[in-house]
Amino acid sequence: MSDRETLGAALARCGISRRALLKYSSYLATLMALPPAASSAMAEALAKARRQSVIWLSFQECTGCTESLTRSFSPTLEDLIFNLISLDYHHTLMAVSGAAAEAARLEAMKENAGKYLVVVDGSVPLGDDGAYSTIAGITNRQMLTETVEHALAVISVGTCAAFGGLPHADPNPTGAVPVSAIVTGKPVINISGCPPLPEAMAGTVSYILSFGKLPELDHLHRPKAFFGDSIHDRCYRRPFYERGMFAKSFDDDGARNGWCLYELGCKGPVTYNSCATLKWNGGTSFPIQSGHGCLGCSEPGFWDKGGFYRPLAAGTGSPGVAVGAAAIGGVAVGAASAALHRRRLHDQGGEKPK
Amino acid sequence: MSADGVAGCGLRLRTGLAKAVLSEVARLLERLSDAGETGAVDLHSLPMTDGDRAELEERLGRGEIEATLSVAGVSRVWETRYAGVWWVRHFGSDERIAAEEIAITHVPQILVAHPADIRAAASALRDDLATQPPQGASEESRHVGP
Ligand code: SF4
Repeated sequence: MSDRETLGAALARCGISRRALLKYSSYLATLMALPPAASSAMAEALAKARRQSVIWLSFQECTGCTESLTRSFSPTLEDLIFNLISLDYHHTLMAVSGAAAEAARLEAMKENAGKYLVVVDGSVPLGDDGAYSTIAGITNRQMLTETVEHALAVISVGTCAAFGGLPHADPNPTGAVPVSAIVTGKPVINISGCPPLPEAMAGTVSYILSFGKLPELDHLHRPKAFFGDSIHDRCYRRPFYERGMFAKSFDDDGARNGWCLYELGCKGPVTYNSCATLKWNGGTSFPIQSGHGCLGCSEPGFWDKGGFYRPLAAGTGSPGVAVGAAAIGGVAVGAASAALHRRRLHDQGGEKPK
Repeated sequence: MSADGVAGCGLRLRTGLAKAVLSEVARLLERLSDAGETGAVDLHSLPMTDGDRAELEERLGRGEIEATLSVAGVSRVWETRYAGVWWVRHFGSDERIAAEEIAITHVPQILVAHPADIRAAASALRDDLATQPPQGASEESRHVGP
């Protein structure tokens, strides 16, 4: 596929009809909670667009983010994203290596100056002059600074790139920082999650390609389309929460019958992500549906918040969020922590209290 | 999961969401009738239980038209028993639902052929005609006459 021809022409050459593009746009509109009518406009815009150059940098990470994006797609609808982008550099996925790989990165930067997207997974270690992670003889910090210079925008995928993630967890031996601590003067979009939802990654890139602008972001620079609601807001166990019906242990009758997992440590009320609606593995399930509370992996510092199996009412370890333990037992507890979290977000200029 | 690949949460509980969706559909259908404005309700983003989904399907029922599309996977479209109210279900990988909406319109956009595809088809057909061997005509002529 030549990078000069429009996507519409390129797809037609591959036997992909406009109907397929419309179906893909309907899928994206659904993912991003855009009005259903937006799908026709998106399909038309995508047909006129050129392939988007993407340079993907992997720093202090576990490759889970790449796994998430590539393993979840089989060659059907969701796969179309790979026809829309030109993945010009990606350590794990590219065929070439060594000097040839670095030459491809520099070439893409030169050819698409001002237009390419930089996707980063992994945090950036600054301790000991960045010695904990180097690629092609330079530190992650050097590579990031050099690569983003002429980028259109930077997308931090995964909680490590977005907020520091596991490498940043106490005592942070490598001095890990998120991408936003280094990149200034460029838009940075955070798509957090450990790993992030593949739909959030593909949807954000496709949105930029169709509308030529960044999607609306929340106070943590996450696309509101995917991070606008809490897990709790969209959880199918919510009716039980409202009635104060809580599972008391994993796999008890309550847990099996859909009762709320709040008392088993669910962090759904303070976690913003789309797992409850998009689900995982092609829409099969998500942790709460499998009987396990939400860990809160898309939130900053989730690893250091006082234990995955402690109820929110026992405090998350972050200042100002602890709810008195005396309040434990019943609907009021959950309502209190959800309401407190909303107020905290509001105070930070985030979501308005409901 | 239901036979049609609907991966729900396994709960038969009816939360009342189906009724809320039906009211919205009724409002949009009146708008289509009065002002010719089309609309849609995105079902995929709603936290519906399997019970809610079954209730909604039951209440809307099936009308005169059903279509199966083979386009980047399978899609199924049917008109409900209310004219102008269509159920559009797109499947992605592994035949799981990727997008689903109730479209309130005369004909869902996905069924309409796009001008670019029509243009390409016209030229493909012309090319086919120009390159086809005259074998078909002679075969047919063998069957004509006594
Ligand atoms: S506390 Fe967790 S399990 Fe309970 S309703 Fe909220 S998100 Fe669902």
